[in-house]
Amino acid sequence: MLRFLLTRLGLAALVALTVSLISFSLLFLAGDPAVALAGEAATEEDIQAIRAQYGFDRPLPVQYVAWLTGALTGDFGNSYYFNTPVIDLITERLPTTMRLGLAGICFALLLAVPLGVIAAIRPNSLIDRFALFISVVGQAMPTFWFSLILIVIFAVALGWVPVSGSDTWRHFILPTVVLGYFATPGIMRLTRAGMLEVLRADYIRTARAKGLHPLKILFKHALRNAAIPVVGLAAVQLGFMLGGSIVVETIFALNGAGLLAFESINRNDFPVVQALILIFSLIYVMLTLLADLLNAWLDPRIRVA
Amino acid sequence: MRSSLLAAAIFAVALPFPVMAGSDDNSLKIAFTREMDTLNPFLNTTREGVILSRHVWDGLLHRDQATGEYVGNLATSWAWIDDTTLEFTLREGVTFHNGEPFNADDVVYTMNFVADPENGVNPQRNVSWIKEAVKIDDFTVRILTDGPFPAALEFLSGPVVVLPDTYFAEVGPEGMATAPIGSGPYEVTESVPGESLTLTRFADYHAGSPKGTASIDTIIWRTIPEANTRIAEMLSGGLDWIWQVPADQADRLAATGRYNVVNESTMRIGYLYFDASDRHGETPFDDLRVRQAVSHAVNRQAIVDNLLKGASEVVHSACFPSQFGCDTTVTRYEYDPEKAKALLAEAGYPDGFEIPFVAYRNRDYAEAMMADLANVGIRTSLDYKKYAATRDQIQAGEVPFAFMTWGSYSINDISAITSIFFKGGIDDYARDPEVIGALDTGDTVTDPEVRRAAYSQALNRIADQAYWLPLFSYNSNYVFDLDLNFTPTPDEIPTFYNASWQ
Amino acid sequence: MVSSSRSEINHTSTPGQQLRRRALRHWGLMIGSALLGLIVLIALFAPFIAPHDPYAQDLTLRYLRVAFMGGTWEHPLGTDHLGRDYLSRLLYGARISLTIGLVAALISGTIGTILGVTAGYFGGRVDTVVMFIITVRLSMPVVLVALAVVALFGGSLTVVVLVLGFLLWDQFAVVMRTSTQQIRSQDYVTSARALGCSTTRIIMTEIMPNVFNNMIVVITLEMAHAIILEAALSFLGLGVQPPLPSWGLMIAEGKDMLFFEPFLITIPGLALFILIFAINMLGDGVRDVTAPENRN
Repeated sequence: MLRFLLTRLGLAALVALTVSLISFSLLFLAGDPAVALAGEAATEEDIQAIRAQYGFDRPLPVQYVAWLTGALTGDFGNSYYFNTPVIDLITERLPTTMRLGLAGICFALLLAVPLGVIAAIRPNSLIDRFALFISVVGQAMPTFWFSLILIVIFAVALGWVPVSGSDTWRHFILPTVVLGYFATPGIMRLTRAGMLEVLRADYIRTARAKGLHPLKILFKHALRNAAIPVVGLAAVQLGFMLGGSIVVETIFALNGAGLLAFESINRNDFPVVQALILIFSLIYVMLTLLADLLNAWLDPRIRVA
Repeated sequence: MRSSLLAAAIFAVALPFPVMAGSDDNSLKIAFTREMDTLNPFLNTTREGVILSRHVWDGLLHRDQATGEYVGNLATSWAWIDDTTLEFTLREGVTFHNGEPFNADDVVYTMNFVADPENGVNPQRNVSWIKEAVKIDDFTVRILTDGPFPAALEFLSGPVVVLPDTYFAEVGPEGMATAPIGSGPYEVTESVPGESLTLTRFADYHAGSPKGTASIDTIIWRTIPEANTRIAEMLSGGLDWIWQVPADQADRLAATGRYNVVNESTMRIGYLYFDASDRHGETPFDDLRVRQAVSHAVNRQAIVDNLLKGASEVVHSACFPSQFGCDTTVTRYEYDPEKAKALLAEAGYPDGFEIPFVAYRNRDYAEAMMADLANVGIRTSLDYKKYAATRDQIQAGEVPFAFMTWGSYSINDISAITSIFFKGGIDDYARDPEVIGALDTGDTVTDPEVRRAAYSQALNRIADQAYWLPLFSYNSNYVFDLDLNFTPTPDEIPTFYNASWQ
Repeated sequence: MVSSSRSEINHTSTPGQQLRRRALRHWGLMIGSALLGLIVLIALFAPFIAPHDPYAQDLTLRYLRVAFMGGTWEHPLGTDHLGRDYLSRLLYGARISLTIGLVAALISGTIGTILGVTAGYFGGRVDTVVMFIITVRLSMPVVLVALAVVALFGGSLTVVVLVLGFLLWDQFAVVMRTSTQQIRSQDYVTSARALGCSTTRIIMTEIMPNVFNNMIVVITLEMAHAIILEAALSFLGLGVQPPLPSWGLMIAEGKDMLFFEPFLITIPGLALFILIFAINMLGDGVRDVTAPENRN
């Protein structure tokens, strides 16, 4: 187990390093960030002054090593736009994205797992068809389109929930539904497939033959085994959600890391974008690591593999 | 119920929007697009920052929007002692939000701090003209300029505000950004970065201020990047005031009869520029006839009438008409596609040519112009990028043809636009010695008539040579509650201290 | 999830006949292929069926409504913000969306297949390296990276397609790797190796044909993924450039009038929905029909 853990941690570190290299070199291909720094009203002198001040004339490898050394201690430099430490900006806004992502994945699990289980118990029933419908629609509907339609109906026409912002839990309802819905099809399919397979398995037949209560069989035996891949998928989906909440945060004016990322791209605020790409990658790596550990705990066979 | 609503949402012409109006607690909820980089008025580069600055701080002077005249704010009188010395008599009895009394030390400290390039005021041109400030007595100061600078009064009534010296010395620029203190009509009482600001009326605001006495108690200032979300908030009553609403949406909102929709011109103008001096190697634009052809090809009036609408007008000079020195009697290029084709043929392009076309805002206007150009045979491929990236390439000399705009920082003087783009700097693609010489004269002499003549010479040359095709002035639509008294001004700085609920 | 176990063997007909029968009985596959076929036809024949030039603007005819909602039959689906015929743009738009989906899937398919097959066939160190590359790629936030790249290099059809192609190969690699691993241990591959066939030959003649149906499934998935991502990028203003009538761009341009002329986003939104739906149905169908025991 320890060896498994150490290998995975080492791999995670290596992945993070590679991502940091990619994101750093990618964003410096764009040329001179001094203009972005100076702002729209800047003149030639402003830009020259800034260019000198930030040392953009140093060779790229030097800048990378300096950046990485800082990053290891949580120092991602200053945002060009805000002129405040990047890490402060991110720690300020990441919680909103986390809250949104967690709410989203909970919504997805609450919707997808029961539907998937019922669909597996009663294949080709009305609920199975409904589940299929939900999943097909979820896969084919563009996020932004769905968001706008929800705003029009529930916020503007009905006035049930606020349009935008993040003051109260009510502000999170629509974004949670949008973000969570897109994780639903995958989780549901996997739950259904896993349940179908498990329900066919010998030990379930044995349990049935022994006359155990069907609900007990379902929860104690079947679901636990079917849950293993679902846990992994949910962790991965959460990682995608955190990195992919840009559209949702922009539309609902949720002041999270996604919105910060989008706005920073528009402002050519390289340090923020670089740090965010790295942090989202780290979160994803952590989540998959966590999922692996959970799986190993749920299914001892994995540990030896 | 739900399905009919869905149908309504998708296909209906008008939705059953609830009616919202008024305010129970004399507060005003407003929204802007961008998050400010900092609340510090001397480091802020956004329009939002300029607006905030007018509410939280005061300058020595104030420009009366109705008359265009300068009036005293923190100063009660002023005079040019010589070409480079301005003397001010300061107002007595003014206090800052933290109770600190205002006197000459605040002015001297602020001016000397911002004048030092080391302190990184951005943009520098707001303050680079200040040499130093000298205290004469507690309520008299002199500001010395770096050479003759006729536009000084304009800057002192705008971006150059006065900071409290004791507080500022204590907290520094960072402290000023997190807990701003000024002497203006509103104080910042809460700041949630990226989300909102709460401004509260300053009870001890000096009575003699030309800004008048504010009526609204609290201003909730939100940042909402997505335009549709702002409109949705407006429709659902979450906001009382929005601006920069595109013409089409403004028309529809006006048609509901539930909002005040007011259109006001702005100082921003759009223009096409050409690489006339071959900065980016050989392009067809080094031929005057090609530049003239483009000028005749674009139907600016149709774009103004159908897309910009409102107070926008076609402009012909490389400046905004109200700016000092903006001679509007220059050569005009009327819409005439046949003439454009003829000019192209004469220049050796009977079948037109292909050229990349760079733009950074108003994609729809750019598209409309591209269609006009295609009509005369000029095939453009749009390269639509963010401002920073665009300007970077332009200054590097890599963009032969672009649709750009310039807002002159709302400074009512031609030196804030023409002199920036035509004096041979990195933004200059004309590099015409005659233009450069004339602008140099205009920028440095103080006699208004000499300035006017010099600028006129430059503008005429620019128009004759078609270095730019000035397109149109922009306008801004303000949409707000029917019960709100609010008057927009052409300088694009909404003043909520003049707003009130009915 | 791919499994190699073959549990049911029907002795009364050939595998080809069985396949055809299963395909014809699979309504999802049928609907998917029919819709997709229709969209492909529209894309191919857009110049002949479009009533107008999709780029022809008329600023005096802006925001005409859909014909049955008060518009004219001259412009059956109305006009957009520049007075361009919406139906014509929609029809031409099918070309853009399909191109984006296909080319992006081809690029990512090539990258992913090469990586996946190599890893699955050789195993060992090669496999470890490829798995590492896949992990790196998976850990990068796709939307964020795509946005950053497009913002840096400027949006154009080429840039968007390349970015998507270079970002979406992970599924190909994962699936191809698993399939190759399974097939590699099959008897016919082992014997081919024993006979001294070259590695390239074995991969091309023995492995590739047998992973083909899995590849089709992933291609459909990634086509849909690329098309949706392009729409999202365009929505955020960092996608393909106007005046191209991409459906994503049409939604982005129409969204300004969301509350007033909802048809402007509804029509391209529905078109996008139908296209993605058709592609997904087709992919699901192919998977079900070629691996009936895995029908989920």
